[in-house]
Amino acid sequence: MNGLAAAMSWQNFIFALIGCVLGTLIGVLPGLGPAAGTAILIPLTFRLDPTGALIMLSAIYYGAMYGGTITSVLINVPGEAASVVTCFDGHQMAKQGRGGTALGIAAIGSFVGGIAATIALVVVAPPLARVALSFGPPEFFALMLVGLGLVTSLAGRSLAAGLAMAVLGLLIAMVGIDPVRGAPRFTFGIPSLYDGVGFIPVVMGLFGVAEILLTIGAPTRQVIATKLTSLLPSREEWRRSWGAIGRGTGIGFFLGLIPGVGAIIPTFVAYVFEKRISKTPEHFGQGAIEGVAAPESANNAYANAAMIPLLTLGIPSSPTIAVLMGAFIVNGLTPGPFLFQERPDLVWAVIASFFLGNVLLLILNLPLVGLWARILHLPYQYVCVGTLLFCILGAYSLQQNVFDVGVMIVCGIIGYGMRKIDLPIAPLVLGLILGPFIEKSLRTSLEMSGGDFSIFYTRPLCLGLLVVSALILVASALRLAPAEVREASKN
Amino acid sequence: MRRGWQVACVCLLGIFVSALITSLGYSLTDALGPGPGFFPFWLSMIGMALTSGLLVQLVGGRIFADPAVEILPSRQVALQGGSVLIALTGAAAVLEPLGFRLTMLLFIAGLLLALGARSLLAIALTAVAGSFGVFHVFYYWLKVPLPIGALGI
Amino acid sequence: MSRVITAIISAATALALNIAGAIGQDFPNRPIQLMVAYPAGGSTDIAARIVASIAEKELGQPIVVVNKGGAGGQVGWTDMVRQKPDGYYIGFINLPATNTVILDPERKAIFSEKDFTPIINQVLDPGVIWVKSDSPYKTVQDLIVAAKNSPNTIRAATTGILSDDHLAILMTEEAAPGAAFRLVHLEGGAAQFKEIMAGNVDVAFDNVGSIVPRVRSGEVRALAVLDDVRSKFLPEVPTTKELGYPTIISNSTRGIAGPKDMPAPIVAKLREVLKKAMEAPEHVKKLEEQGIAIRIMVGEEYAKYFADTHAKAKKYTEWAKNRPQK
Repeated sequence: MNGLAAAMSWQNFIFALIGCVLGTLIGVLPGLGPAAGTAILIPLTFRLDPTGALIMLSAIYYGAMYGGTITSVLINVPGEAASVVTCFDGHQMAKQGRGGTALGIAAIGSFVGGIAATIALVVVAPPLARVALSFGPPEFFALMLVGLGLVTSLAGRSLAAGLAMAVLGLLIAMVGIDPVRGAPRFTFGIPSLYDGVGFIPVVMGLFGVAEILLTIGAPTRQVIATKLTSLLPSREEWRRSWGAIGRGTGIGFFLGLIPGVGAIIPTFVAYVFEKRISKTPEHFGQGAIEGVAAPESANNAYANAAMIPLLTLGIPSSPTIAVLMGAFIVNGLTPGPFLFQERPDLVWAVIASFFLGNVLLLILNLPLVGLWARILHLPYQYVCVGTLLFCILGAYSLQQNVFDVGVMIVCGIIGYGMRKIDLPIAPLVLGLILGPFIEKSLRTSLEMSGGDFSIFYTRPLCLGLLVVSALILVASALRLAPAEVREASKN
Repeated sequence: MRRGWQVACVCLLGIFVSALITSLGYSLTDALGPGPGFFPFWLSMIGMALTSGLLVQLVGGRIFADPAVEILPSRQVALQGGSVLIALTGAAAVLEPLGFRLTMLLFIAGLLLALGARSLLAIALTAVAGSFGVFHVFYYWLKVPLPIGALGI
Repeated sequence: MSRVITAIISAATALALNIAGAIGQDFPNRPIQLMVAYPAGGSTDIAARIVASIAEKELGQPIVVVNKGGAGGQVGWTDMVRQKPDGYYIGFINLPATNTVILDPERKAIFSEKDFTPIINQVLDPGVIWVKSDSPYKTVQDLIVAAKNSPNTIRAATTGILSDDHLAILMTEEAAPGAAFRLVHLEGGAAQFKEIMAGNVDVAFDNVGSIVPRVRSGEVRALAVLDDVRSKFLPEVPTTKELGYPTIISNSTRGIAGPKDMPAPIVAKLREVLKKAMEAPEHVKKLEEQGIAIRIMVGEEYAKYFADTHAKAKKYTEWAKNRPQK
């Protein structure tokens, strides 16, 4: 506990501050995701002492989580992969002149999510860490199937269309090296496809570029120019948001404990869950504030919770955290149970910096929200060209490959078409995300069991999750079938 | 709208059929279970079934009780959208040969003009900031490599 | 109008003359790109950034690390062989990963071993067999006996299909006839660590650099180092040679190469600068802190090493492709 006090040294405060600022910038800047951004900055930290370096790098990590939100809301371009879901409602809010409110609630939700997760980290870390270990490849597979069950809530007017989009997403995810033979699949001899169709170029196209194509010259631009309504949510919006923030935090936290889940899945789950239990689900996708509050809280709760397996067991939950772990190791420290014992001062200092960082992020970002929202007031030609510059830069800088820019443009056209005829995009994105997880975890499970499928029903947690996913599927089918019949009988 | 969905369904069907055929070229099973072709095959089958079902529903008039929404854009909007696409494709094509700075300079200035921006000063400033300025930040400060073209720019 | 055209032509000519002049000048006169065929933050990447930050001071131009991850490195190497061999684009090759990509017919690599100009090797990370600290296997012999008694039951984890770990398991099976492992291909060392801790796999084949800190902390037990000399980072761990298995020698090397046909003076300059950087105390200290063994190889020695590794990998790659998995 002394560490908490020690962390409040001036130096560490400065490091946390720098980290938050850099992190937010990295999140805002296109393409440069938290993993790459953190890796690039590792050599900078060689000059600092280990504690300071780690505090700064951790701050960059969750600062980036927030930064990605800004572009999602303002220009419908996810600044980094995890911010995709915020585009659904966040940008709609911006188009209605409530962009400031969206950013504000995102900041608040992120703050709550982050602090709650950090408190849980302090209070119950070791027992929670066991959760990380109990999720092996079979459980992971089952969990991904549960995630797939979410697709029915995102389908919109036609379940068949939603499912078809999800299937398409899953298929696109199969492009690249397969997990079975390690050989290229669906690559048609294009080396740039060997690693699959990049997720970020696809969503930048489907959301960002498509949005530009849709709103060019449209009179809606004028709506944004009207007086920017108050930055604070209305009382009604507060009421709706609190529940969403709480639920999002819980979901993000739990999923953060499971290594390998990645930052996008908690945001999807939180969003869909919120939509399911809402009394007004039709508002989602049109600018519902819960649709921003839930994923944002989930996002930051996830980011902070994902540090638990790292600090307690030395297991990195995601590629970004693996980079962070690399930073630890380069500075001569190996995260794990022994680090807690050998250098508790260091670990507590890092944990204290999480509290500090979350507070700093809130303080930094809330006042800036008004400034950010003003960007939309610029003449639309500049916003349009700026967004596209952003997108090109982002898509290219991922792998220094023009092919990714091409993918983005093609997806922009596809996204435009889909939006025009109201085909649901979210199931496609979900399929694209879950596809690789599902196939790889299935394959690894079978490698572990030597081809024996019983591994899926002899492990209790896995079996439980499979049952849950089956239930979700059945429940959705029952729920939606009557609605479709009702629609049909109207004709 | 219904027409739009019909077109989309036909396209989807085409995609699923070609995926099905390609996946037959990969082995469907393996010593341990599903092979590389397994999931693509079955996914394509499911996709084809769903899309066909959707087509049937569309033709039978079961979806879309709402009146037809105008989906083809007006001429002016189409021109602007077209110029965006041309600009994007052109930029992607010359990004590596010409280098980031030149490409973006032309892209920003060109597209701003095409979309109707007026102030030449603002256009010039934005173009320079967006090309040379951005390059400097990313290449020299952030060490993110951006293309330098044949002209050394 | 004609005045405009004249102006354009003169400007273009001036530009062209400038470029022509530039080519004749000393190398390098602009930043160099150093490609890493894996995503940011990995072991190769961190070591690359360390060496780049030191070498660029000597070189006089920035060395920008470019990550081109994907397909186990294939994306990055494919890209590199297509670059101009002018010295401004070089990258890391990881042996035997680069070799197996070339040798696996299903990967359809567009490059072969002749498409590279090896410049200098940086790291040689010997393979290691390790288990959880409370595992029933206390020695390699325990492991092999168990693998013989119940073939295809002991779950052995690799860090990727056709990685050096994968080949090492095959070498083990070859050296101990009758022993057969159940191969579980995971993605990277972190995943291996997690699955071992969770008890989902029984033994891991990886490289020394990845687990030195964990051996020191007592979380894991290293059974053997797959080399003919003991590792200075794990001095108490026996080598496979000592244990009577001198054919199980496996390691992962990371070195810098360029596309083929690079001019000799440029190669020499790069080699000199990089060697100096690799010998610098800061570089040595940072790498050794992580348990990564530096092994500088240049010229003939490196080329020969490449060829030898390639020949060895060929044998095991063919076996790996045909080996039944159950």
